[in-house]
Amino acid sequence: MAKKMAKKIVIELKGLSKRFGFGDAEHAAIDTLDLTVEKGEFIAIMGPSGCGKTSLLNIMGLLDTPTEGDYLLDDQRVETLSSRRQAHVRAKKIGFVFQDFNLIERMNVIENVALPLTYSGVHHTKRMKLASKMLGNFHLAEREYYMPWQLSGGQTQRVAIARALVNKPALLLADEPTGNLDSKSSHIIMEELSDLHKRGNTIIMVTHNPDLTTYASRVITMLDGKIDTDSKPTKTEEKKNTKRPLSIKQRKVMQRKKKK
Amino acid sequence: MQLLTFEHIRTARESLKRTRSRTYLTITGVAIGIASITTILALSGGVTNIISKQVSDAGNNIALVRPTTKQPSLIDLGNPNPTTSFTTSPLVERDLDSILALKNVDVASPIMTLSGNVTSSEGDPNSGTIVATTPEFQQTTPFTLKDGQFIDGITSEDTVVLGEQLSLDLFGTDQSVGKQLKIRGQSFTCIGVIKRQKNPINYNNIDLDHAAVISLDSGKLFNQGVAQIQQINVKAAKNASLPKLKQTISDTIAKNHGNERDTDVLIGDEIVEPTSRLFLIIAGVMSTIAGISLIVGGIGIMNIMLVSVSERTREIGLRKAVGATSASIVAQFMIEAFITSALGGVIGFAGGYAIAFVISMFLPYDPMLSWVAAVVAIGLSVSIGVLFGLYPALKASRKNPIESLRRYH
Repeated sequence: MAKKMAKKIVIELKGLSKRFGFGDAEHAAIDTLDLTVEKGEFIAIMGPSGCGKTSLLNIMGLLDTPTEGDYLLDDQRVETLSSRRQAHVRAKKIGFVFQDFNLIERMNVIENVALPLTYSGVHHTKRMKLASKMLGNFHLAEREYYMPWQLSGGQTQRVAIARALVNKPALLLADEPTGNLDSKSSHIIMEELSDLHKRGNTIIMVTHNPDLTTYASRVITMLDGKIDTDSKPTKTEEKKNTKRPLSIKQRKVMQRKKKK
Repeated sequence: MQLLTFEHIRTARESLKRTRSRTYLTITGVAIGIASITTILALSGGVTNIISKQVSDAGNNIALVRPTTKQPSLIDLGNPNPTTSFTTSPLVERDLDSILALKNVDVASPIMTLSGNVTSSEGDPNSGTIVATTPEFQQTTPFTLKDGQFIDGITSEDTVVLGEQLSLDLFGTDQSVGKQLKIRGQSFTCIGVIKRQKNPINYNNIDLDHAAVISLDSGKLFNQGVAQIQQINVKAAKNASLPKLKQTISDTIAKNHGNERDTDVLIGDEIVEPTSRLFLIIAGVMSTIAGISLIVGGIGIMNIMLVSVSERTREIGLRKAVGATSASIVAQFMIEAFITSALGGVIGFAGGYAIAFVISMFLPYDPMLSWVAAVVAIGLSVSIGVLFGLYPALKASRKNPIESLRRYH
């Protein structure tokens, strides 16, 4: 317990609400939600569409503001920050991965990855070096000067993750990172995220796919803007749940066996 | 900040390159406006230049005495009956004599213009300008003779000196010394031809190419024996102070006219002013009209920028999501507007000057390239670009990142 207390709290949400529309048409995407995220957690947020998952992620990523409630990021109330400071926080502390990748089409891969560094004041040459190193980590070193449309879906998402991580953010937010990918590419991406988690990164991921929750250290289900279930798997459960989906190699082997 | 500026310039260059034809058209739009303004400025600058050159050619020691006229203003351009056109000049021969008697005056010559027909025995009547003056005119106005001599004290009263073009019009030749012609019915003999000046714009307000110059006494005969002088050209003695002389002349004439200051004494830049002021007003009116085309160019910039902002909505959203501040988004688009308008300004200035040069081949003066005109033209286009680029840039910066990213799914 004492050890747990010592863990640093990255995100603290208190009575957070987000409402859209006015009057009769008003609709609460997030309804008085409380949540605490500790450093090093890998959280998967699940739930039916319209339950407020993405809204929550957008608020945590400072892309949106809550209607009510407090959001503390690294013990600092976000609403007290100017928009300029908020942009600064986005540049330095937060990495975003989108479902539809959102690479800038007219920039090549390495420029796309280096983009966040531009806004945290890194010099051009150093930007390119850091971006290149990051792409190397994702086995994309040979694709540095490709244009986004020359890449496969999985590669594109790996570029997007590389971009999200290039300025070493404390927090990685992923909005259905595998939503547009086939299951094979999905698992490659998930392996990457899981690797990042092992290296101590805090990851919050929104997903529709229950299979992928096995990678997470904590699964939150949302319903109608509220947290429905929040299962922090116990140590024993964690071990039970280690039955992960098969890797590509294993699958190929299985398929061959089936054919025979 | 500096780092970001470089980055913005790079981004702007890339995006302008990518939409090349669109960029060229926008630049052309701005360039046309700037070119027309530059043309007008260069030509009107040329006019001012030509007169000040004449003043300095005359030795920079010329003072002009003119009846006080109302300053030409914008209202006069729209007034078919200018108030000054029928005013009689108060300058008479006595004033000339008083000026000549002053200490610091070297020479002075009157200019009396008369209307009337000049007819040769063989040709049709020709309405040239008849100028009555004294032999000293030659010292107060820079011109040279092509043939013969100028009027002097010894020549008889019925002699005339013709401008080269008038000579050609009357006799079909510039060799007309000795030929007979009639001015307002009186017979005159041509004793000289003035070499072609090609400067209808000068401080005497006389086109010498079309003038018939007669003596002041002959002029008086045509005007009931009274010399009605439009202007007196005074040449100051060497080392005399012009401003002091101006005061003395002014006082002297006022004394002659019963202390009524109804004349102006112009020296130095003041000589250039009345003529150039009129041209400046005309240039101003024309520039205003040209300015409209510049505004059209500005709207072109705004239009294209709005398209560009809307096309790049997702990019703007993403840039904001990865940490771009609103200010840096504004800067990004403003730099694009700046580059477009500055290029338009430079091209327009060069083009406008070229047009002015071509036009000046049909005009008696050269366009003048002044740094003021360059600063005005390029400064104007940049400010138009900044002004019209501001709205799209602000619009881009105010975009909500989530909504921007959600578009074009």
